[in-house]
Amino acid sequence: MATVFMKWLETKPKDYDRGIQILTLGRLNRLKGEIVRQYIREGSRVLEIGCGTGTLTQMMAEAGADVIGIDSSQAMLAEAERKIAPATGGGHAKFELMEASQIADRFPETSFDVIVSTLVFSEMPVEQQRFVLEACHKLLTPSGRLLIVDEVVPSGFLPKALYYLVRLPLALITWLVTRTSTRPLRDFKSTLEGAGFSAQIAASALGDSLVLFESTVIQSPIPESRPSIPKLQPKVSVRTLFLDLWTLFFRIIPPYPKFKTGLYAIGEPNRKSPVLVTGNFDLTVRRVVRALHGEVDCWLLVADSAGINIWCAAGGGFFTAEKIIAAIRTSLLKEVVDHHALILPQLCANGVDSWKIRQETGWGVHWGPIEAVDIPEYLACDRKKTNDMRWVAFPLQARLEMVTVTLGFYALMILLPMLIFWRHLFWPVAIALLGLTYFYAVVHPWLPGKDGLWKSIPLAAIALSGLFLYSATWAHLPPQSLFNWALGILALSIFTGGELQGMSPVMRGEQANWIPEGVIFAALGLAYWLGPLVLSWK
Amino acid sequence: MANPTLLESLTEHITLARTLRTLRIHFDPQKCTGVWQCYEVCPIGCWTPDYERRLVEHHDTEKCIACGACVLQCPEGAIELK
Repeated sequence: MATVFMKWLETKPKDYDRGIQILTLGRLNRLKGEIVRQYIREGSRVLEIGCGTGTLTQMMAEAGADVIGIDSSQAMLAEAERKIAPATGGGHAKFELMEASQIADRFPETSFDVIVSTLVFSEMPVEQQRFVLEACHKLLTPSGRLLIVDEVVPSGFLPKALYYLVRLPLALITWLVTRTSTRPLRDFKSTLEGAGFSAQIAASALGDSLVLFESTVIQSPIPESRPSIPKLQPKVSVRTLFLDLWTLFFRIIPPYPKFKTGLYAIGEPNRKSPVLVTGNFDLTVRRVVRALHGEVDCWLLVADSAGINIWCAAGGGFFTAEKIIAAIRTSLLKEVVDHHALILPQLCANGVDSWKIRQETGWGVHWGPIEAVDIPEYLACDRKKTNDMRWVAFPLQARLEMVTVTLGFYALMILLPMLIFWRHLFWPVAIALLGLTYFYAVVHPWLPGKDGLWKSIPLAAIALSGLFLYSATWAHLPPQSLFNWALGILALSIFTGGELQGMSPVMRGEQANWIPEGVIFAALGLAYWLGPLVLSWK
Repeated sequence: MANPTLLESLTEHITLARTLRTLRIHFDPQKCTGVWQCYEVCPIGCWTPDYERRLVEHHDTEKCIACGACVLQCPEGAIELK
């Protein structure tokens, strides 16, 4: 069940295109057409930052331009490659996997006449916007054009009110249908001007909430004094308590709480202090800070992992070498420390190609411990790990946390229908569920069986003996009712046993391994429940 | 939920999960140059470094969770998961 749910939550490239189409009411495509008509000539050399599934890339190639489309998502690029047809207008389109922050590393100076980007800058923190704009400054020819289409909040009371009135319901519908969302750019004109560009609004749509900025290089970027690096300290507030509670029960439901990416200081680090890398899941960052504060002085580089925990983000292709390289570049890390050594969390090794980081940036990569609490000892021992630090465990505390995470899902899928349709069953089922899941969490390592399904058999046996004992000594349930309860508890045990599998680091595979069997059991259960109704129905 | 892409991606996911269960590590000691990245990153402890011969030894295939970290971090391409 959780798998189906997770798959539904995942944004597929096609969904993304559809979502943007709905959110911009089709106006984005009109602006894209405008770009091609006004700025693209035969033989123009064009870079498209964040090409997505390549719609605009293709349009520009059709108009005769030589286009390179970059995107940081492998899935988007795969869809773009699938969609692309040989351009008829004599142009050419090529796709490359890259983060926007890497363009100055990958392309020579003044190599583009036009740089285009749609709905990309609004996804970046301001420092990254500035960094990428400076890179565009280098890559454009002196007469080159920078064209940025993005969402903004219109000025003026009435347009603003109208914007929020239309935008909020539209955003909700779009998210439900396609799990896609966008956000508006703030004060982008001054960011553009600071980076040495002129900034005119060349076209707009949707009541001035979707605009095309046309910029040319007018001067060198205005030097900015580097803002002081923020210090992180563990703190408890209403916000963190809410986030803790939310992530405890609804961790798997997006939007995931994100921490702002960038470089942070923990304690009083100096130019020789170690640099630790982590992802931008809010809970991860706060746990790392809690583990390190007062123990070590270090720099913490928070890279973009789409708000997902390190291991899953790396496995799912959201936390990659590109993201870490982007974070190194954007944070101007080399100005802060004298050494060139990064410490990466060991669990991102399944997705972050450390050799790519070494080759492209010259920074050395060390694999830190799995748990943040081991970092102080690891640093004290001159970056030596004991086996306890490098092997995952699934201790009681983690098991309790993980079954609690599944409870949020149970509450939505099982208890909510109970509350609505079979209210008299709510408390018995809730108590059975709580007892079963927490009992499972405690005894998990001692139950025989090497994966969740096998472990659920002894679990079911224990739970059923408990039920029969309860019935024989206390409740004296009638046979029919006892049988129904036994069936329910059997199903719940199997479900509980399997559900924890995907959340545990020590069992391979997940519930999806036995979907066919699961479907058969579900069908049998449904037949048992509905069968008598159908048979007695004349 | 009339979403064809959901069904597609579910089928894909199930196939992936099913293959994941049968994946095994294949290690070619001839290619190994002893950088021990696999040992550094394996969260289960399936690799043991051989400090004298600058090699690693692979064992415990039963415990392997097929996370793929060693495959990605091996600079020599000596490890495969299939």
